[in-house]
Amino acid sequence: MERLDNKLGTLTSLPMVLLLAVSFLAPLVVVAVFSIMPPKVFSIMNVPDFSAYADFFQQGYYKSLLWSVAMAFISTVILFLICWPLAFGMAKVFGKFTLVLTIAVAMTLIVSENIRLFGWVLTLMKGGLIDGYLRTWWGLRLEGVLYNGPIIVFGLIYVYFPFMLFPLAQGIAMIPEDARQAAEDLGASPFRILWEIDLPLASPGIVVGSLLSFVLAAGALAESKLLGGQAIIVFTDEVETAFTYGQNWPLGSALAMILILIIGILAFFSISKIDLDSMMGRRR
Amino acid sequence: MRSSRKTVYFLNAYGVLVIVFLYLPLVSVFFASISKTRYLTFPIRRYATHWYLRAVQSPTVSDLVETSLKIAIIVTVISMLVGFFGALAYARYHWKYRNAFQKIIILPIFFPQAVLGLALLIWFNSIGLIPSWKTAVVAHLVWIAPISTLIIAIRAYSFDPALEEAARDLGASTWTIMREITVPLLIPGVISAGLFSFLLSWGNFPLSLFTTGADSTLPEWLYAKMVSGYSPLVPSVGFISIGSSIILLVIAYIAKKLVASVAK
Amino acid sequence: MPTTPILYLKDVVKRFDDFTALDNINLEIFEGEFLTIVGPSGSGKTTLIRLMVGMDEPTEGTIWLRNERIDQTPANKRPTCMVFQSLALFPHRSVGQNIEFPLKIKGVSPKVRSKRALELLELLHLPKSFYNKRISQCSGGEQQRIALARALAFDPEIIFFDEPLSALDYRLRKTLEKELVDLHERTGKTFVYITHSLEEAMVMSDRIAIMNSGKFEQIDVAEVIYSKPVSRFVASFMGEVNMFDFKCDSKGDIKIDGVEIRSSVLTKDKQKKYSKKAKGTLMVRPEFVRFNKAKETNDFQIRGYLRAEYELGSRIQYEVDTLDDSRVIIEKLREDRFKGKLGATVVIGWDIKHTHFIPND
Repeated sequence: MERLDNKLGTLTSLPMVLLLAVSFLAPLVVVAVFSIMPPKVFSIMNVPDFSAYADFFQQGYYKSLLWSVAMAFISTVILFLICWPLAFGMAKVFGKFTLVLTIAVAMTLIVSENIRLFGWVLTLMKGGLIDGYLRTWWGLRLEGVLYNGPIIVFGLIYVYFPFMLFPLAQGIAMIPEDARQAAEDLGASPFRILWEIDLPLASPGIVVGSLLSFVLAAGALAESKLLGGQAIIVFTDEVETAFTYGQNWPLGSALAMILILIIGILAFFSISKIDLDSMMGRRR
Repeated sequence: MRSSRKTVYFLNAYGVLVIVFLYLPLVSVFFASISKTRYLTFPIRRYATHWYLRAVQSPTVSDLVETSLKIAIIVTVISMLVGFFGALAYARYHWKYRNAFQKIIILPIFFPQAVLGLALLIWFNSIGLIPSWKTAVVAHLVWIAPISTLIIAIRAYSFDPALEEAARDLGASTWTIMREITVPLLIPGVISAGLFSFLLSWGNFPLSLFTTGADSTLPEWLYAKMVSGYSPLVPSVGFISIGSSIILLVIAYIAKKLVASVAK
Repeated sequence: MPTTPILYLKDVVKRFDDFTALDNINLEIFEGEFLTIVGPSGSGKTTLIRLMVGMDEPTEGTIWLRNERIDQTPANKRPTCMVFQSLALFPHRSVGQNIEFPLKIKGVSPKVRSKRALELLELLHLPKSFYNKRISQCSGGEQQRIALARALAFDPEIIFFDEPLSALDYRLRKTLEKELVDLHERTGKTFVYITHSLEEAMVMSDRIAIMNSGKFEQIDVAEVIYSKPVSRFVASFMGEVNMFDFKCDSKGDIKIDGVEIRSSVLTKDKQKKYSKKAKGTLMVRPEFVRFNKAKETNDFQIRGYLRAEYELGSRIQYEVDTLDDSRVIIEKLREDRFKGKLGATVVIGWDIKHTHFIPND
């Protein structure tokens, strides 16, 4: 049935392909074209120049990029460490509790991230939930937690928690239990099992989870604005400023292109290594 | 491999802790929303529901709800349709560009939404579209339709492809197979995808931020008020937004139970 | 045996990219017969059945049903039907709806449909109460029968079976094998069955086709395939066998290293077609090899020592290692048990009438 399958596959993919061509590919192409326009023009009918990319280095925008990438990297590493035990529990240990956890974590995804971050502001601010109760009950104070670098990383960890947890749990669920048992039977210590069996076999989940967390965190905006109080200007913030206050579309586009390229290359290499069919549970 | 009891206890406790961590900020928002004072400090001395009343009566809020709802409903319908076909191309048919298609669909999900929103803004401007709630629908779809596709694809993977072959072998045409086998088997997946699409669109903020133009959605307004010009309505409106999602989920859950009991 | 071909494959080739799954297949299937295609996994039998049912198209060659060319006809336009390995019962439909499915497609009225479904349930020894059951409530054997009933409801000219019994346990499989033979006789339909289990093939079929690497090695009745295999592959695929390389000397006499051959056999065998310098394989089944008592001689004879003895239930199997390091397998019925000690020197042999020669091409 290859011919029929080919026909049906092409037909059924068409709506999605059209949608993405018009609203994903086309905008990226426009951004790419704008990025090589002279400063402060609003049309692509100009002579190309690369001054916007030069600005990236000369005006110090690369510092924001480094900040964004560094914070994304740190939060990805921490996310991996705190999610692994829980993901392991969900995939291998918990029975019904896995379902409860899955629903509980998934539910947070439907709450707007700015409301949740705002909730943290209310929780951590001076006179907030924690500070207020610490003071009245024990006379302790909690101050100066907000509006700095570490709290942005905290916000990233909080918001992208599900994006690490679910792929990891899926990856760990793919580890055949008898491989672990065989390793134990052959005398491997728990650490050896983790190193020789769990990590390699769960690697598709690890790759997807880490990639998602890193990429989304590197392009995040709300965390630094709401929790960080702009103590650190993240790269997406610079992109936004260039477009809005700066009214410099070519600069904004060039900055966006740099981020897109980094993300695109990362995503392309990671995704191309993964068999999506088996990860999602193909039967044949 | 059996884990030791200590490990099991530890992991369970850890799980509970994570839930607390995830929901703590929402608890704060909830308490803030029922605090009587205009400028909030914990512990809350006097409780009141008047901010909810103010929110419900506010014409601004009802405008916001209307815009968010319009966007979410249209996004839901389109995501279900596109996702249904997309899932077949993704999971069922073995066609030439299947592998490429699978990877292309994942890409928008892996994309920072704020950057995507900005790119769309330039794109709309350069083709002369004035951003409004309608352009926001397109922006939401770029991110939500692929997710809807994946949800339905998971369902498509879970049934035996031989079912469709068997139906064809027994004389059914492509159209009949769709109607008799594919659609009935995928429907639960399509419904969950619709539910998710609605909730994700309803709560989305980074995609709406740059693409709604003069219109504003609920999460966008909240953000604006949080960043500048704080309003005591923020916690209550925030909780209305969350509450409506929860109500929708509960309704969906009850409906599912009802359908299951009727089927028996 | 019936002799009219109902399905005919001519020079069929199937390639996937650069892998050739089927290599020049020619096959005639006769009306009303029970043909089993046997082969190890990867031999191409599933690919072949998919071509015959219409789920794939051949890369080259043609397929004919009676006198009509059908290789380009899609599955839903062919009067043939397959019982899938996974059975492919529709989980969202009741047992009755599953059986009625092909009739519904044909536009048969609901009343006639349910009448026919009930008849088929009875034919397959299932109670009428199954009509409203859900598929998930039925056991493996019951699902098997429902899948068959659904295929019969289609009223196909040929029913194909893609190893449908492979997932069942041994006893249930034996029962269903015999039921299938019975059903074949009662319905008079042409059955084409594929399996990797030789035993299944022997029990059920009129003819057996042995497949290997995309080709047919031999197509014949079970008896011929067992005792006169055309190749080493078929010989070893059809159960335990002892094989020896032979070559003919300049006079045309057969020589085998380590085997004493009675000279009268050689002269007798001269009538056969083995020319000078011919080479090939001599084959003898384990049940025909004897342990010789003193002074007893055979047409073919070997010295060796008894290496091992295994219980097989109704039979006992012995392994004898010869002096030049080849191994011979012997099987005896329990009542004919050989009472030698392990390690003892033995003389074993067999006669020309139980010997089969497979010449090299």
